[in-house]
Amino acid sequence: MNLDYLLFDIKRTLRNRRVLIFAVLMPLVLFLIFGASLKESDTEAGISAIAYVMVSMAMFGSMNATMSSGGVIATERDGGWNRTLRLTPLKPQAYVMTKVILSLLLAIPPMLVVFLAGMILGHVHLSAGQWISVALVSWLGALPFAGLGLVIGYVAKPDSVQPITGLTTMLIAAFGGLWLPVEQMPAVMKDVARLTPAYWTGLSSRSALSQSGLDMHALVVVLCWTVALGFIGLRRYRADTARA
Amino acid sequence: MTTTTAVTLTGVTKRYGEVQAVAGVDLAIRPGEVVALLGPNGAGKSTTIEVLLGLVRPDQGDVRVYGDSPTNAIAAGRVGVMLQSGGIIEDAKVGELLDLVAGLHQEPLQPQEALQRAGIADLKGRKMKGLSGGQKQRVRFAMAIIPQPDLIVLDEPTTGMDVEARRDFWASMHAETAHGRTVLFATHYLEEADSYADRVVLMRNGRIVADGTSAQIKASVSGRTIRATVPGADLAALAALPGVRDVETRGDVELLQCADSDDTLRYLLANTLAHDIEVTSADLEDAVLAIGAEQETLA
Repeated sequence: MNLDYLLFDIKRTLRNRRVLIFAVLMPLVLFLIFGASLKESDTEAGISAIAYVMVSMAMFGSMNATMSSGGVIATERDGGWNRTLRLTPLKPQAYVMTKVILSLLLAIPPMLVVFLAGMILGHVHLSAGQWISVALVSWLGALPFAGLGLVIGYVAKPDSVQPITGLTTMLIAAFGGLWLPVEQMPAVMKDVARLTPAYWTGLSSRSALSQSGLDMHALVVVLCWTVALGFIGLRRYRADTARA
Repeated sequence: MTTTTAVTLTGVTKRYGEVQAVAGVDLAIRPGEVVALLGPNGAGKSTTIEVLLGLVRPDQGDVRVYGDSPTNAIAAGRVGVMLQSGGIIEDAKVGELLDLVAGLHQEPLQPQEALQRAGIADLKGRKMKGLSGGQKQRVRFAMAIIPQPDLIVLDEPTTGMDVEARRDFWASMHAETAHGRTVLFATHYLEEADSYADRVVLMRNGRIVADGTSAQIKASVSGRTIRATVPGADLAALAALPGVRDVETRGDVELLQCADSDDTLRYLLANTLAHDIEVTSADLEDAVLAIGAEQETLA
């Protein structure tokens, strides 16, 4: 990772307030809509239904915020920025790490806001340890989407990147069980869900709240997705020398 | 020879589909040379530069920058580059961009110093997207000198600048070359190649067609031009004069392209009322055009 590059990107991101506010508002509103119909006594997959939706919406929010980096990358590439970077000593691995860490930072605000809404408005009661554990695991769950945002940033053009990102986010969230609990899906859909990274990030995050403890299998799948997508992003960065 | 060249291209070719962008280029640049890569659009200048910088892998041939691969030379901070367009982030501030580039290098010039040398210390807090084309070029120039490179590569650096901005730019550039830096710049402005380069490499259709000092290239084209006002001039008769290759009329002035201007002059003075006579040798533009015409004939 390169700290100067990270700071450079953070400053630019913080100037773009509309995007930041939208990234926080969307999952919050969705949580309030989905959560409003639930009673505190409802349960789903062994945990409180409101907690289930809270985790799902936090995951959705972080995924949404993380994937927005694809749009930024596509625009940067279009302006020939990657050629400039390639003509500096910045190593491709450092570039990918920097972009992934930036995405992880972007994932924090929407997750925190949804968790706070769950705590205050949804009356989700968790021990301090559980809060920390669910927050950390959910945060790690943003990793594959940081990789996916990177890859989309390299595949898409600036004018197509928004719809591609939007559609991908929606499909993954819907089929991965972030909007409709996997437990309520028909068998075929459950199989499809397992093909999406969101299924595994949701599973690992919820496991932080269950009695049986962290689902290590799910965590390993999440990390595999991250490595695979990060590697593709790395290859694409290396290959990309398009003129402005 | 143990001296390492700054740049060595050996037998470089690059094809894009049907277009042979670079068709066998051999070029060695010694440390300290200021070289202009001159040629019309599509001559292969940009591709040659991209190959030299490792942005494009040549189909054939070898590239060395200070005896190493371009990537390693760049990683070592030995190369500063100013590309033709783009390459910046529009929503970033000038100072932020320079801080970043400095942060990516081992022994950078202080960003403030780079801004001053580029003559844009006052633009530090401005966003890129509000700047004029010429101002952006100066930011790119500041970015190029931050690594304190041994070699500066500039691809059409003054595109989009007005005459004054261009002159200022070259003044800043001169200050850099005074430190013994090697410079390679691509341009299609003959005047820039003529005024600022020690050596002019002329490219056409992906090949180097002439290589030497601007004086050598001019000398490669024989003949001189006589300008004279010739009352009652008859074009056909003038064209038939001894030593004349071609005649052109501009207003009341005749331009006589001569293989042997002395013979023509003797005749003009002895047999016509020609006055206001000027004799000039070919300038770089004539040389370039002549070399181009020669190439067309050969092709």
